Amino acid sequence: MIDAFMTVAYLMVVGVTIGAIAALLQKDLLRAAYITGAESIALAFLFHALLAPDLGLTQAIVGTVLMPGIIILAILKTRRHEESD
Amino acid sequence: MIEISLQLLGFIAATVLVVVGIAGMLYLDNLIKKLIAFTLLSDGVNLALVSLGYVQGGIVPILEPDASIFEFPNEAALIFGPGIVLTNIVIGVSTTAILAALIVVLYRRYGSLKASKVLKGDRE
Amino acid sequence: MNEAVTNLWSVPLLIIIPILTAILVNLLYNKTKAIRAISVGASIAVLAIAVLSPYGFHWFAGHPAVNSDGTYTFTASVFSWKLSLEYYYGPLQQILIGLMSLLLLFTVLIATKSLSKNLGPYLAIIFLTYVSAAAVLMTNDFYHLWIAVELGSLLVAGLVASSGTAYAQKAALKYTFFSALAGSGLAISLGLILGLTGYVNITDAIHFLMSNDLGGMYAVLYVAFAFLTLAWVYAGGLVPVHPLKSDVYRSAFPHGTVLLQTQSKLMLVAIGIVMLRLFGSLPFATDVMLVISVLTMIFGVVMALIQTDLRWILAYLIVSHSGLVTVGLSLGTYRGIVGGIFQALNDVIYMSILLICCEMLLYFGKGSTSIKFGGGVAKKSPWLAAFAVLGAMAASGIPPFNGFQSELILLQAALEQGLPEVAAVILMVSVSTFVALFRAIYSIFLKPEPEKTSESYVGRFKMPDVVFISLVVLLSISLILGVYPQLAFSFINESALKVVLVPWVP
Repeated sequence: MIDAFMTVAYLMVVGVTIGAIAALLQKDLLRAAYITGAESIALAFLFHALLAPDLGLTQAIVGTVLMPGIIILAILKTRRHEESD
Repeated sequence: MIEISLQLLGFIAATVLVVVGIAGMLYLDNLIKKLIAFTLLSDGVNLALVSLGYVQGGIVPILEPDASIFEFPNEAALIFGPGIVLTNIVIGVSTTAILAALIVVLYRRYGSLKASKVLKGDRE
Repeated sequence: MNEAVTNLWSVPLLIIIPILTAILVNLLYNKTKAIRAISVGASIAVLAIAVLSPYGFHWFAGHPAVNSDGTYTFTASVFSWKLSLEYYYGPLQQILIGLMSLLLLFTVLIATKSLSKNLGPYLAIIFLTYVSAAAVLMTNDFYHLWIAVELGSLLVAGLVASSGTAYAQKAALKYTFFSALAGSGLAISLGLILGLTGYVNITDAIHFLMSNDLGGMYAVLYVAFAFLTLAWVYAGGLVPVHPLKSDVYRSAFPHGTVLLQTQSKLMLVAIGIVMLRLFGSLPFATDVMLVISVLTMIFGVVMALIQTDLRWILAYLIVSHSGLVTVGLSLGTYRGIVGGIFQALNDVIYMSILLICCEMLLYFGKGSTSIKFGGGVAKKSPWLAAFAVLGAMAASGIPPFNGFQSELILLQAALEQGLPEVAAVILMVSVSTFVALFRAIYSIFLKPEPEKTSESYVGRFKMPDVVFISLVVLLSISLILGVYPQLAFSFINESALKVVLVPWVP
């Protein structure tokens, strides 16, 4: 039981790490915004595992809806793809 | 598998997020990418603060009606860090909003998201 | 000393009235007359509260410690455990917040006079900037300190960006990006201190640090100090971030800069005092602060000397004079702290005079304050030229004005500590300020106007009455403080003594 829990925690740490790096390596900004949302879910789980479930809930809402929402809004008002030159 | 505590795991993830965030803010050229890197940095700080309060084998610091009030202080996780994090999440959102607004305004002026083009140090 | 035992009524009002005004004014948006009436009324109300309020505490949660015989303990001699979010309103807070309220009134008057577009949101940002500085000054807990510094940094960006030029928006963007680092650092510092001591109240935290042996955990205190220093440097625009902060000072409207520089200097004083109270006994702590301050003075003044625009000169001089404020604080002695706080007070006054003169130049000269531009303003507006010259004399520490008194105290404090090189740098700042300012003022005001550029400054300038009155008031305050510095000392002395002798008392 504990082991399964720890395994999920490991996975989530890996997920946060990969999500962070992948978001910054994307050329498509819209996709990068989605990836930060996914990374926030992993982070929310980590908060939950670290005995702060209230923060987990807040992070899940803010990190998956509000933050990517603001970023997507900014992308829609500017441009979707990174300039190449 | 090496035995490490959940707290250390949290600190490792937080360090990765903070380093990736700062590196992204410094080295990436795209302003929206810098914005995303900023959200990663603030996530990393939040995770570090939450990990600070973790107690091995502890319980969630919410006093249940039937819980023993004498065991609670010894078992519960510390709330100092998490108490700050709630505010930090809100501050992160408002800073993101302001940054996004400024980026949109500057994009309308210059037609570009490249920091090297937009943030050139010319004085009017 | 008449400290109220019960929760003080005035402290929450000082915070709530500007916030409510900001909301109301923001909703009104463009109705100039209503906005003017409400915001002037609110700033007068805040000024009256700051002047009339008694001294005492306000607890947002928790309570003062109660003795076994039913009395309260928060005297200087007894440790008391409060466990609460607390504001303290004392003599230091009274004089600094009172002065800031006066400047808020002038800023609001000038802003409503000279702006017409988007007046509501702009004034809302101005009022919230006032709130952030007032909260940092009054608070005695880390939580409000952190929130107010974060709020303040976002508002600086807002205030700068609202001036609408491309350069201002870039400066705001850079400043906000850096606020990510400083704000996160402050949050981590706060988390570490909370984890180490367990108290959010600064008094309780100092009590804990004094009465418990931390052992190996002492290193954590250094990390907390480093992050708090980062936030201090950021909030006040000291040396590593001085390019960002001078951009900010330069690109806001000059009347906005009046409040911006007031905010950052009061934050420097408030956070500096907290750092001294908490970490004053750490080895190297005051040395680090001293090095940062001396570097700030040198960089600011050198950059000011090579500028060719009055606004840029003022921006860099404000940065270098922030160094003068912090050099006093970081000496850590009684005289040094008095000198630092007094310097902050004087600095805010004479820089406001110069900035308002700068605003008038922009108003008359159609947007230019360059040295190469124009000349002969003294003939067209003798009052403006007189104010600019007198303000520059105050800024460079010439005797009848207030700048002289505080710089004298700083020099004495530096020599007392056996640091003649710091004293030399302070003198250098004073002399270079004189050179940089009078170079600009000579070529803008005193030099005869060249015949050809007749389109630059046309006709005779008539200053608005509001500006004239505010300049007269500020200049007379400057003169009074220069002749009778004891007036200010009676407010500052007690706080400086407390920082040195009983650091746990706010």
